[in-house]
Amino acid sequence: MNFALRDKVMLAIAVLLAAVYLFPLYWMYVTAIKTGSAMFASPPSFWPADPQWSIYRSVWESRNVGRYLWNSVVIASGAVLMITILGTGCAYVLARYRNAWVDAGLFLILMLQVLPASLMITPIFVGFSQLGLLDYPRTAVILAIAAKSMPFFVVLVRATFMSVPIELEEAALVDGNSRFGAFFHIVLPLARNGILVSAILIFMQAFGEFVYSKSMIQAIEYQPASVGLNSFMGPNTNEWNNIMAYAAMYVTPILAIFVLLQRRIVSGLTSGALK
Amino acid sequence: MTVHQIELTGINKYYGAYHALRDIDLKIRKGAFVALVGPSGCGKSTLLRSLAGLETISSGDLVIAGAKMNGVPPRKRDLAMVFQSYALYPHMTVEQNLTYSLRIRGVDKAEAKRKAEEVAATTGLSHLLGRYPRELSGGQRQRVAMSRAIIRNPKAFLFDEPLSNLDAALRVHMRKEIRALHERLKATSVYVTHDQIEAMTMADHVVVMRQGIIEQQGAPLELYDRPVNKFVAGFIGSPAMNFVPASSGSDGKSLLLEFEEPQTIPFMRPVKAGQPLLVGIRPEHFELAGDSDAMLRLPVGAVETTGASTYITTATQPELVIVLNSRAAIRSGEIIGLRFDPAHLHLFDQQTEIRLG
Repeated sequence: MNFALRDKVMLAIAVLLAAVYLFPLYWMYVTAIKTGSAMFASPPSFWPADPQWSIYRSVWESRNVGRYLWNSVVIASGAVLMITILGTGCAYVLARYRNAWVDAGLFLILMLQVLPASLMITPIFVGFSQLGLLDYPRTAVILAIAAKSMPFFVVLVRATFMSVPIELEEAALVDGNSRFGAFFHIVLPLARNGILVSAILIFMQAFGEFVYSKSMIQAIEYQPASVGLNSFMGPNTNEWNNIMAYAAMYVTPILAIFVLLQRRIVSGLTSGALK
Repeated sequence: MTVHQIELTGINKYYGAYHALRDIDLKIRKGAFVALVGPSGCGKSTLLRSLAGLETISSGDLVIAGAKMNGVPPRKRDLAMVFQSYALYPHMTVEQNLTYSLRIRGVDKAEAKRKAEEVAATTGLSHLLGRYPRELSGGQRQRVAMSRAIIRNPKAFLFDEPLSNLDAALRVHMRKEIRALHERLKATSVYVTHDQIEAMTMADHVVVMRQGIIEQQGAPLELYDRPVNKFVAGFIGSPAMNFVPASSGSDGKSLLLEFEEPQTIPFMRPVKAGQPLLVGIRPEHFELAGDSDAMLRLPVGAVETTGASTYITTATQPELVIVLNSRAAIRSGEIIGLRFDPAHLHLFDQQTEIRLG
């Protein structure tokens, strides 16, 4: 088999796999605009004959999707802000100092990453309840998400900081700057891409977070979109077009951000900050 | 006021249990060019970084321009440093790199720009001020690193192996350029290198270090002519000095060189009879000799010629390297006669490796 042919076969397999992987997304958009009978037709149609575009408006209004999305944005932004500020400092220290204590710290941080949210929620819930934090449910969720996602951020950003040569900082010190000045003038600008990309990934994660929000936020006016989507579910759920329309409105903004920034995200993750 | 720009007294540095610098005493005259040289791990870089304030010293006194600087942070020492990797700020243009230190000190923009242009003109960077470091060649980056140091007019320049990332030809060129720069600015400079040629050709004062101690310091030719021990003798000079174990002859006027077939050479200076010695002689101090005046007759192992000079390695144990600054029709396996000026012999104690006489 020559190389050109092999490349073509590989490409065909890749496209096929991508199609399989993306099919649910396509099905979501298509189902949303189907009529009630088309939804349950067998065999199913892959393109609606009579698209029901008005469903978006009716779901948006009846479900108050705007409020849910706003809550998601508030929670995700809060968590990202907190993680970025605290995690950047933490990652810098872990990148620049190397001893047994730092290694132990890093190990513990990675351990935190392993524990699933559904395991953590019970102790967190009890703890927050004792502290009275559940009276501020969105803050409570922000704290919980920040704790959950911090390790991921720290590990990524630490790698970014490690790619910034220490001589640059030393040069800045000799040039007359303080350690803080050197960090803000030299290290931070060079690590900016890595930090930005990690923050975006965290944002997308937090935007879709469900377990903590569902458990800690009782009041419907503070619930994020993930919990709102769950409220469709009942014993006799059959309004699939409404669910899919809601899901489409929820997912599309995130998808758009990813498509717009994907080149930066991929390059930020693979190459160092110095190119 | 002292004439010494930098004075180090009894400097010690520990990394945990590791003793990196041992009782370093070093006085550097204002305007001098001092080279710290030694094999890797000898502490030369640690000493330089301690001067810069990037490492803290464990004990001793570090005085720069009359002010004690132990524990003073780097930014208050007013020194400039050129790093091996150049450490140019990749997100700044050449001009921003040059003026960074001025901007931190609050020099106004127009003044900083004027100074950058002035320095760039002297280092040939004028047309590159708007470029980023990644768009420059190795030699140009090197010049930016130098210019960044010059622009500040600091109390001293510190160089940390600044030429080791350049290719051989450029290295020789930059060597001269740095030296010329020093002649012009008359700024106190401390230059770390592992390359003894760099140290010998550039510095007024060479400091040879090994395992955290200063083995010897002095003018380059002083180190070449009178090395205090076997280490310095072998480190300074290229190719390295030859060493042969020897003992003094019973008549007190000769030395017995201990090859497999021992050879006797005449020697006039007094040596204690029976003392185990090491005789050192530099490759360039040998001359070919005819039957009548040969002091040594040795079999030839390998012959290499560069056109300008001929390198001969003898087939003896220990082997000798001989450099002749001429072409010689010598072949492997031949026996050649050699002579040398006995004044060029260096004698060391075999145990302590310290110079005798």
